[in-house]
Amino acid sequence: MISLEKLAILTDGAKFDVSCSSSGSNRKNAGGMGNGFAAGCCHSFTPDGRCVSLLKILMSNDCVYDCKYCLNRVSLDKPRATATVDELCELVLDFYKRNYIEGLFLSSAVHVSPDHTMEQLVRVVKKLRTECNFHGYIHVKGIPKADGALAREAARYADRMSYNIELPTEQSLKLLAPQKSKESLLAPMTALQREREQFLGEKRKGHFLPAGQTTQMIIGASPERDGQILRLSQSLYRRRSLKRVYYSSYMPVVHDSLLPDLPAGALREHRLYQADWLLRFYGFSVEELLGEDENLSPEFDPKCAWALKNMHLFPVEVNRAPLEILLRVPGIGGRSAQKIVEARKYTALNFEQLQKMRVVLKRARHFITANGKFFGTENVSALRGFLTDGETVKAEQLSLFSAPPIARSALTGEL
Amino acid sequence: MTYFYDGGKQGFLTALALSFRDKDAVLTAGNAQLSLGQQTVFVSGDPARAAAVEKRLLSFDKHCMKDLDLLLRSGDEGKDGVAFAYFRLLAQEKRPVRDMLALPAALAAAECMRRVGTELHRMRGFLRFMESASGALYAPCSPDNDLVDLLLPHFRARLPRYPFVIHDVKRKKAAVYDGAHAFNAPLAQAEVLLSADEQAWQELWRKYYKIVNIPERERLKQMRGYLPVRYRKFMNEFFGENAPL
Repeated sequence: MISLEKLAILTDGAKFDVSCSSSGSNRKNAGGMGNGFAAGCCHSFTPDGRCVSLLKILMSNDCVYDCKYCLNRVSLDKPRATATVDELCELVLDFYKRNYIEGLFLSSAVHVSPDHTMEQLVRVVKKLRTECNFHGYIHVKGIPKADGALAREAARYADRMSYNIELPTEQSLKLLAPQKSKESLLAPMTALQREREQFLGEKRKGHFLPAGQTTQMIIGASPERDGQILRLSQSLYRRRSLKRVYYSSYMPVVHDSLLPDLPAGALREHRLYQADWLLRFYGFSVEELLGEDENLSPEFDPKCAWALKNMHLFPVEVNRAPLEILLRVPGIGGRSAQKIVEARKYTALNFEQLQKMRVVLKRARHFITANGKFFGTENVSALRGFLTDGETVKAEQLSLFSAPPIARSALTGEL
Repeated sequence: MTYFYDGGKQGFLTALALSFRDKDAVLTAGNAQLSLGQQTVFVSGDPARAAAVEKRLLSFDKHCMKDLDLLLRSGDEGKDGVAFAYFRLLAQEKRPVRDMLALPAALAAAECMRRVGTELHRMRGFLRFMESASGALYAPCSPDNDLVDLLLPHFRARLPRYPFVIHDVKRKKAAVYDGAHAFNAPLAQAEVLLSADEQAWQELWRKYYKIVNIPERERLKQMRGYLPVRYRKFMNEFFGENAPL
């Protein structure tokens, strides 16, 4: 059994990885333990509001790299630990059996060399699948610069793999993660994507990343704008068929002159996720939402901000508007839109009925008519006031020694 | 007239048939406040009549019995009335009414079913098994709705080699899988002799839960929304120093 100390060290190193979803794979149980649950399943929630679905753990936190933002970088003096393959397999099986977790999220610091690390990860996954007969969800983090054959081997056993892009531009990577390059992150992603398409095309037996690939970016450690970040996300969704891009707002866990001293804040991360959802499920393109050098508005959610710029399209009649237009109304989400479309087949809906159906009208009433009636305001400046009601931008008193939110050196590239 | 039935499917369908022409009918399986002079009928399930009603209802909507099953499992006080109104509407309309959300009867039933479905999904994650000395797994719980037997297929599919008992402490019943067969059984109390390693695994899990949290980003309200406090009493990550506030 793994020791408490080792578990604590290896979990502590992995906790900032955002991805914890267990959806997308419906791997069947073939006689051993576990299966995939395509809808995903959360097993607990921690006081930071995040779900615990997978056992998020590092194989090792003993890193040879020195990425400035990272908790596990080599130049940091902290306790180091490396788990063995057997320890990890036993931990996964016993946690899974007790219904603590939905599967494993296995990552690692670059221990000894990228190839060595990836090989260790592959050994864990392979043992779980073959010897232990485990069919639960497995997410493996790809190690940049490891051999392509190792990544392919991992992909045959894992449900999902991810290479973290970490920073949105090559320039920031050079500055903050000098051992990584855009190429070393995107090339394996592309190779796996091609292999997966081929696998699906040939309808071969077995599995090859049934839940696809994801990636993660740190927001606010480097000076990129939201427009730039979302353009990158859109291209990853469209060209590399990624399932998710995760955003992690920067937190100053290590201090370095190249890094900002203040956290990027949860609101920016939240707005990016909202925009990301609009790209994936609401039929928006990033060009509609914001320019390349713009940031998302902290006052309005991205759909509201888009609607305020396009007031000539509103109000729309809920009883006639097609689904894709309903989805563009601020405050109406996928479930509400679906409910409206179903219910209006039988009767013309009015505001009271919408309210009873739990369609949230706080924002939507300014952008829709129900049965010809309009209960919003047409005055755009008054509307802006209504929509920002209750949401305030957090401000704080800076001291004489507070650093600006983004380090100047990161902005100019000076070292 | 107030119709009392036994809370089961057969009783419900028989009562539905008996009360169909009674405009002021009230259906209940529990206690009801009667007004002065109100008449009551105690309905016992009539298999032939229930089967005939079921067949007729299925001809209107082939999925309606799944709805009835979910509605009768609900822990809501007014679930009998909700189910009754829903099936009367179905009988009147003679076509599926599931999506007629503008009608109060359909909306109330949809909400009630949604609550049962949501809890079922939650319980799939929040259930905590402990290993007994014999290797069998035991999970106590007290869900709002009567759904332990709905959890059986899920855990049977993923743990086919492990016998397990899911114990609804509140309703004193259990869903049991003995390694080959799955069945329901009444169970008032269970004494479990834990395996030698059980405490140590629970300790590891508590440690993991504590470490994976990021204390700088505390969002307790969000946590309560996703994981209401009433579920935590059977989840061992909330025992000891992590006990709910």
